[in-house]
Amino acid sequence: MSKAYQIGVFLCQCDGRIESKTDLPLLERLVREDPDVAHVETLPFSCTTPGLARIKERMREKGLNRIVVAGCEARILLSKIEKEMMKEGFLEGQVDMVNLRDHVASVHNLSPEETAGKGNKLIRAAVAGLAALVPTPQERVSFHGPVMILGGGIATYAAAQELLRREIDCIIAVQTDEYEDEIRMLHEHYPGERHYYDRLRKIMEEVSESPYVRRITVGELTSMTGRTGQYTVTFSDPEQSGPPRTYEVGAIIACLDGQMLNQGSNFGHDGKNVICHTETEEMIWVHGVPSGKIVFWINDYEAGTPEFAYLSARCAWSMARYMAEKRKDVEITILYNQQMAVPLSADERRIGRQLKIRWIAYDGALRPTVQAGYVTYCDPKDHLEYELPWDKLILSPKRSLGVEATRVARILGLEIEEGKFLEVKQEKVRPDQIGREPLYLAGSARYPCDLHEALRQGRRAALQVAEIVEKDKRGELYAPRMVCTVDQSRCIGCGLCKEICHCGGITPVEGLGGGIPRTVDPMVCTGGGTCAAACPYHALTLQNNSTEQREARVAALAKLLADDEVMGFGCNWGGLAAADNAGVKGLKYDHRFYLLRVGCIGQLDPSVMARAFLEGANGLLLIGCPPEACHHSFGLDHTWSRVVMLKKLLHFSGLDRRRIALAHADLNHPEEYIAAVESFVRQINEMGPIEKNESNREKLAGIYATVNNARVRWVVGATLRRPWEETYPGDQRNALAFDKDFLGILKEEFTKSRITNLLKSQPRYFELKEMAELLKIDRETLGFSLQEMVKEGMISRVHRDGVAQYIMRS
Amino acid sequence: MKAEIKSTKKIIRFMINDQAVEAEEGWTVLETARQYGIHIPTLCYHEAVTPSGACRLCVVEVFEGNWSRVVISCMYPVREGINVLTDSERVKNVRRWILEMLLAECPASEEIRRLAAEYGVTSTRFEIKNPEEQCMLCGLCVRVCKEVVGVSAITTVGRGVHKFIGTPFGKPSEVCVACGSCVTVCPTGAMQARLDRVRGPVTGPR
Repeated sequence: MSKAYQIGVFLCQCDGRIESKTDLPLLERLVREDPDVAHVETLPFSCTTPGLARIKERMREKGLNRIVVAGCEARILLSKIEKEMMKEGFLEGQVDMVNLRDHVASVHNLSPEETAGKGNKLIRAAVAGLAALVPTPQERVSFHGPVMILGGGIATYAAAQELLRREIDCIIAVQTDEYEDEIRMLHEHYPGERHYYDRLRKIMEEVSESPYVRRITVGELTSMTGRTGQYTVTFSDPEQSGPPRTYEVGAIIACLDGQMLNQGSNFGHDGKNVICHTETEEMIWVHGVPSGKIVFWINDYEAGTPEFAYLSARCAWSMARYMAEKRKDVEITILYNQQMAVPLSADERRIGRQLKIRWIAYDGALRPTVQAGYVTYCDPKDHLEYELPWDKLILSPKRSLGVEATRVARILGLEIEEGKFLEVKQEKVRPDQIGREPLYLAGSARYPCDLHEALRQGRRAALQVAEIVEKDKRGELYAPRMVCTVDQSRCIGCGLCKEICHCGGITPVEGLGGGIPRTVDPMVCTGGGTCAAACPYHALTLQNNSTEQREARVAALAKLLADDEVMGFGCNWGGLAAADNAGVKGLKYDHRFYLLRVGCIGQLDPSVMARAFLEGANGLLLIGCPPEACHHSFGLDHTWSRVVMLKKLLHFSGLDRRRIALAHADLNHPEEYIAAVESFVRQINEMGPIEKNESNREKLAGIYATVNNARVRWVVGATLRRPWEETYPGDQRNALAFDKDFLGILKEEFTKSRITNLLKSQPRYFELKEMAELLKIDRETLGFSLQEMVKEGMISRVHRDGVAQYIMRS
Repeated sequence: MKAEIKSTKKIIRFMINDQAVEAEEGWTVLETARQYGIHIPTLCYHEAVTPSGACRLCVVEVFEGNWSRVVISCMYPVREGINVLTDSERVKNVRRWILEMLLAECPASEEIRRLAAEYGVTSTRFEIKNPEEQCMLCGLCVRVCKEVVGVSAITTVGRGVHKFIGTPFGKPSEVCVACGSCVTVCPTGAMQARLDRVRGPVTGPR
């Protein structure tokens, strides 16, 4: 009778901090009673070198493949212990920690026996979770194909240069073959960069001569599918006549340049004498540098984009300098809003003085007015209004994403917001995570920048890609373990997961009708898990950290809790962190609360919540991050929807809705956590425990079945946002209307679940009258549901003596 | 509790407070003492990170033959034949000096005040520069951010008496993941007051 798991539990004395408050020998005895525990031992410390040596010894002796350390903060010490155990062949997810010190010993005024008792319950829950763990094999990620640099942005060359210097093969997808042409057209995206052209030429030469770089001339990007290490990219034929071109590549760097548009006529723009930066460059190319009075007006503040004033000023300076160096008969002035700091180095100021380029500040409160030959402005120093004569007036450009960049970004699966650029501040969850960005972006489409910055972004993107490619070459590239996977035999491609996923890890697979979101890129997935908790068909699993494990933990704990005890989940970044810090500070609070650790409360499948009550919990508190601060973007809000569903179902069962609740705690304010916990415990105790009778048990089993029902999960999936949020387009025109519909659906499914449970438990015929009495459901509701279930083929109905009788369909 | 070691590493036998102890090569005196339940006070030591020897509170007197040295136990590797005294007069004296200096360094810290009182130090003769100061510059926050979290969002800024803990350019860190590890390991609670300067506003832009 060998089990897959051999669990070892190690209790820490922690230099007396645990030992003085806990009856450790008693705890050892209690833990040993658990049949799932293969070995239990008390150590002075588990986390020091001697302690870890001891654990490893025991592991080898007893063949332990999972361990629970009952010590202190998992957030701080788990990775150290895991890393040590990985040297012995453990994988991530096989070690768990219970914070005996700061969730029990330091924070309650209990006797050593009582402390041991509470510790035992928490350890049992951890053991049950590990027993339910199905560790997945370590997945190697490998690169099939070279790195593809597409998008046509100028950063392509910097990225290619970085890669070829590291001897990594890459393909650059460009739309013209001549790089002189590219330099000639560069001012359309990056005006004022002439002094950089020589350096750029050198980079382009190096790139074109390298055997590591393959240059392809293609039409537009039409599709991209796949995941890190294996992408399939398709372009149209450059002449539009041939078949589309497809490439299998390992990584993609998208170099996209934003668009520069001209200012409108409200600034006097006429395309001849009042022009923008791009037009200026074009004019210089065609006609050479003009003579006379040239005024650069940095009008970004007045155009509504003050954040780009610096960029425009640098660009103006570059062009001014070039012009003044080429011709002696120009008078150049740069007119700028006084709020802007002049972006020149000391040396540049010296050059400016030599070239007689004037910088004139104007009072931003009074918008300069453009007239024929003059610009009127107000001097901030003497408050006089002056006129600045001009022969050519050069305005700042309007910067936008551009049509082409938008199109390419959409194909690449990036989210685009109206009026914004492509740079997205991703939630930072795992610093060690490689392949952090869904796609490597470089260029001014990411965020307006100058040429130097664009090239730097290209280099940086290439460096990040190179890091993982080199890791793969060494055979060391493994996918993170606590990521989601899709069971394709269950997935129907509805796309709900992709819609609510915040990390972009769910990627499409080519199928009928286009890309179907059916795989997860493990290098991008942050392990938030809300997708798995939402999937109506249970097709997604958060590996090594699954719903089954969480259900096992709540079941084990719920069975052990006393009538006045309550349990809950705290997330790594909010509730759990606050609880840890409360312990570190030695604050004291009610001991009747048992906290379970979870990465994000968005991971909690409603079945976990229902299971807690089914197994005997009287109250369940979920403590997440402060509002709008969820580390997995929306996990907190998704949990709200699920909690609300549970509240409704509890209400249908005649149980108090307040038994499940959502709370928020900031890790830096542990007193908030304590307030939430104590308030909740008090409320639950005022309500008293849920009566443990057959009627309640049957209803809770009905709730459990209902939250696992596909239709219900579908409908909840459509609501995974707060009713007042406008982020998702939806059908919630009236905040109440949806909720009423939802209540109706829940009631129906709840009734059906209870009927199913009843008919399954007793394989015989039931009459409506009997069922109504047993389940305490009114006949009309019951009759309606039975009718539906017969129609759907879930149950069979026969008539005997004029009375309808129902039985489960076999 | 004795640790019986059966491993392939070299066993080093020495003494702590005249009690025979065994350790593996590579262990430090502090780790061995803790394994045997012998208490040595520490402030800047934490099991999750490499020791740095900043606070010097874990000093012990190491006797080798007739000579003795006062060293910090958190970084001193075990050696055959030494006798380590954890509570000798010299050691207690050093600890009292350190605690007195710490009371002047961060007078607002309750934890340091409590620890000092344990060793009989209740007042300090040194000048108190900032009566609100809680940070004792142990560097645990910096080390945990670098070694456990891996982002190095905070660091020590400046040197000597002008040293403090901060972020690049004094601005909220771009790489901070707001995990709170620094707050959890801080022995004096000083990090709690500084956290908002490091992570930026809680309800920040997405």
